[in-house]
Amino acid sequence: MSQLLPYFGLGLLLLTALVLWARQSLTTRKGSVELSMPSERPSGVGSATPPRDLGERIFDPHDWDFVRHETTSEIQRMFQRERTVLTISWLRRTRRQVSFVMHTHAAGVRRSKNLQPAMELKLLFSYLSLVMLCDILIGLIWLRGPVRTRRIIEQTFHWTARLRAAFEQLIAIVDPGSHKALETGFNQGTAQS
Amino acid sequence: MSYTSRNIDLEPAITDLRNRTLARLPGDFSRLVYLASSRDLNTGRYSHDGLTFHFSETVASKAMALCHREIFERLVYASLEALIEELRNYISSTNERPAEFLKSWKHLGSYRVTIPSECDELEAEVFLSNVKMALAILQTCQKPVSQDGQSA
Repeated sequence: MSQLLPYFGLGLLLLTALVLWARQSLTTRKGSVELSMPSERPSGVGSATPPRDLGERIFDPHDWDFVRHETTSEIQRMFQRERTVLTISWLRRTRRQVSFVMHTHAAGVRRSKNLQPAMELKLLFSYLSLVMLCDILIGLIWLRGPVRTRRIIEQTFHWTARLRAAFEQLIAIVDPGSHKALETGFNQGTAQS
Repeated sequence: MSYTSRNIDLEPAITDLRNRTLARLPGDFSRLVYLASSRDLNTGRYSHDGLTFHFSETVASKAMALCHREIFERLVYASLEALIEELRNYISSTNERPAEFLKSWKHLGSYRVTIPSECDELEAEVFLSNVKMALAILQTCQKPVSQDGQSA
């Protein structure tokens, strides 16, 4: 199991470079919007509480601190199992939603006359980075659990959130129609692949 | 709390429901159980005689559905520690013995019916997982008490 860690490390390093590149090229673009976390989106229709990111809730370190200090080892193991399932579900959903929007966008692009190759390339890299990051995290969590890999998860969770925000912004610039679908999907969690 | 996107017609009904009914219940978990139990499982419609009398059946049902979702979301995003406290408050508000209550809820999975009809699939998953954890933690807290009770 530990033999796979260098590969994960290498993959993460590669992804970091891709994320930084995508982020830099997005922020230096004239008139581009500032990168924001997905949890800062305006509230959706009928939403009574401010929308927060479910990923943040699942990875909330306070829960683990509470379980570690206040409960038995049996409960701690149960907590790890439960959080593993939730984390993988969240990552799979993020991946599925982004893939859905990318496929919708790709279908639209085929008919488009105003193709922006540079922007499309950035979007593609952003999409591939996000998908790869989700897959690597799923593998890592499946192998070691969300609690053991907590520090890596905390760091990569923010990358995933930023990358998703960057992807959303790119989609908003390139294809506003697909961006609406993406917003609906992220807010309601109902996007299907 | 954002009112901006809500139907204006529902606001008086929501305020009425909050102030007259929900405010009297001890905590969000009690409110969640109350709202879920006011829902017809076959149709998904909520019923509340007082609200229906003052407004209409449809408005009352929609107001209850919105409050149900709102309270559910609060509990989903509450910390595990806070959820345990909510559950503890709810248990003490019933007249059941905590040990029996916990055993029944754990085995029957009664908390599953408290989920609102229109909610995010993953939010429901998080809620069920957290309640399952909360029940297990409360049950481990109960064990020494029930052992003492048996030996007494």
